[in-house]
Amino acid sequence: MNDGKRQVVIVPCSGIGKAFGSVAREAGYELCEELRPDTTRLVALSKLVLGDEQARERVRQCPAITIDGCKLMCAAKLVKHSGGTIAREVAVLDSYRQHKELKPDGIAELNDQGKQLARVMAEEIAEVIDALIQGSSGGSHA
Amino acid sequence: MPSSKDPVEAAMPSLPEQKVGIVACSGEEIAEGTVARLAALKVLNEMRRGQTVTICLPLFLAGGEGDRAFAKFHPTITIDGCDLRCAAHGTETYSGKPAASIVVTELATEHGIDGIQGRRCLNQAGEKAVEVAADRLATLVDQVLGNDKLPAAAAASEKPAEVDDSSAVGCSCGSGIAVTILTIAGQSVEVVALPLIFEKLREAHPSLDEAAIRELLETVKIYNYVPPEAEASWREVLTREFAAYCESEASR
Repeated sequence: MNDGKRQVVIVPCSGIGKAFGSVAREAGYELCEELRPDTTRLVALSKLVLGDEQARERVRQCPAITIDGCKLMCAAKLVKHSGGTIAREVAVLDSYRQHKELKPDGIAELNDQGKQLARVMAEEIAEVIDALIQGSSGGSHA
Repeated sequence: MPSSKDPVEAAMPSLPEQKVGIVACSGEEIAEGTVARLAALKVLNEMRRGQTVTICLPLFLAGGEGDRAFAKFHPTITIDGCDLRCAAHGTETYSGKPAASIVVTELATEHGIDGIQGRRCLNQAGEKAVEVAADRLATLVDQVLGNDKLPAAAAASEKPAEVDDSSAVGCSCGSGIAVTILTIAGQSVEVVALPLIFEKLREAHPSLDEAAIRELLETVKIYNYVPPEAEASWREVLTREFAAYCESEASR
């Protein structure tokens, strides 16, 4: 658990029509459950659609990293709409262009390549999170 | 090559004209959100494939007017993971009142399913909840389409033809919806859901005025990617096709 340390909010898209949306979701889980559970907090995009005050407050107080599955960039748009600050906008399509061998397939159940793509993305995002956390904690030390 | 004046109805499946929209919350924070998502996908992909269509919930806010027309275009059933009811409230606020709603936590209690866990990989209770939620969703789809009142044989004949592509979902991108090939800006383009759009538009706009043309283009954009630089060409061809459709309907 987080001991009063700064957290980074992760907002993946909840795309349901294409495998790229599932990659975004999987990358979010990989980060928040495996790679950086202590310094990240997952926020459901549906709550931002609803205008849930707790979720809005969370994206306003913590830097957010959005992970979008398509060019419509719903996650990024909704964080901005909610008054949040986006530290990094990540697009699955951009990562896929860099890792063409990892072609995602399947929505309900991602194929292995899709899961690998999510893992690769999560590892790259984890470095961004570390930098954000170090940056913020560095400012509070003498 | 087909011309824009001679549209070819390609891959036109024998689908009922009315489709039911399914909007899932897909809530990433809780396991019940995953249940909602998987139950929706099960109905879209397997149980009522071809009779259902979906859209990503955030598009009601992040998308355009065309996306927000979804629940006006399709009678919609929402499925939520918890009693925040993000999908139900979001759909009603931004698109249109859902025809029916399901909440996974309530359904689980009703069926004595306890201890749903594993937002990334559901446990056994979660998998059971997916089955129950999908069954309820499919029943509601039948009710909305009126299939529950048909005799068994007639209901069976209403079922869509099997589609081979198992990776496609009846998403708002248009899988499983009628495809019309048009020539736009010198290119052969597949346009999805055009007959349904024309039918709906003609009901709302008896005359082909500027408002109708604008709505036509926006609605077509829900299901099709219209390159911004080609929008004028799309508008021109769609207007011509819609005028021809209205003329043929009037002469019936």
